[in-house]
Amino acid sequence: MILSGYEALFFWIFALSAIFAGLLTVMARNAVHSALFLISSLVSVAALFVLAGAEFIAGVQILVYVGGVMVLFLFVIMLVNVGAEEHGREEIFNNQRQVTASLIFCGLLVLGVLYAASQGYRGLQKRYGQPEAPIAAQASGDQSGPANATGTSQITRDTERVGGSLYRYASLPFEIASVLLLVAIIGSVMLARTLRQEASADDLDPETLQNEIARDPELAKLEPPSE
Amino acid sequence: MNMLNSFMPVLAFLFQEADAEGGRFAAMKHAATHPDLSKFLVIGALLFIIGVAGVLTRRNIIVIFMSIELILNAANLNFVAFSRYLQSTGSVNALAGQLFAVFVIVVAAAEAAIGLGIVIALYRNKETIWVDEIDLLKW
Repeated sequence: MILSGYEALFFWIFALSAIFAGLLTVMARNAVHSALFLISSLVSVAALFVLAGAEFIAGVQILVYVGGVMVLFLFVIMLVNVGAEEHGREEIFNNQRQVTASLIFCGLLVLGVLYAASQGYRGLQKRYGQPEAPIAAQASGDQSGPANATGTSQITRDTERVGGSLYRYASLPFEIASVLLLVAIIGSVMLARTLRQEASADDLDPETLQNEIARDPELAKLEPPSE
Repeated sequence: MNMLNSFMPVLAFLFQEADAEGGRFAAMKHAATHPDLSKFLVIGALLFIIGVAGVLTRRNIIVIFMSIELILNAANLNFVAFSRYLQSTGSVNALAGQLFAVFVIVVAAAEAAIGLGIVIALYRNKETIWVDEIDLLKW
């Protein structure tokens, strides 16, 4: 797997933009800015997926993350925004000691990971023992539809192959994932209910309900205590 | 210039190729114009480390969740890059990486929904989203 030509150019563009947007996500003062930088980082990673030949994953990434998860994040930011940090009054980072410790830890991680990536890649090359010319890699990598008249672009069948192997090799995890999503829906609805909603659904401990009624008589009107 | 020369092994280490026949600069240029699996892995590692730094240093719990998403994306980048590499070596199970990336995305979506529900419940009870003020379990 070796990219070349324009693919290499786009690889570096999207890789750098993913990393810079990731850095700005962590360092931005305003949480909404963080969310927007995270969106651009996710889109850049999706472009890297396309460059690695995984168009289906790139589409899922954009649909699920940018279309779903990040919208959820923005809604929650608007729900809980305390508004203090963008005016520069609050410290955005944790205590000095923890920041120092985590930065040292991350520095060690950088060294170890760079070493392991290059060494492991050499080991892989040694194990499979092939020189990996770019043309050979492309020819064996994309056993897809025929090249068009100019021979430059090909219709990939990545989505078809992923879908096929999803049902062929991973049908049980697929079903488990659907159950997991159902549990997540129910759990997030349960967690995000207000006290009033819990009381009207008669889902409160009676003792707690009495305490809350003592504090807020409105609740008693909402749900008369059952005999 | 001397300092540049002393940094050269580090750069060559980052962009190394198996054979550096035409000197370090030529090897680096070839490595930069032909990114391969190891470059994907390095990008994924850097994204992972940025995410870990965000989780460990930030105070806003929502930004911590975003950093977790960054970490999961770095893992996905590794899966997809290895899947592509195995496709180019002609392995039978080459698509397993992409399948796993799909499941990672599913779990990330579920995690975000549950986590943000917890954040909302926490904000209702504690009126804060700073993690250093939520210290009920600290001794």
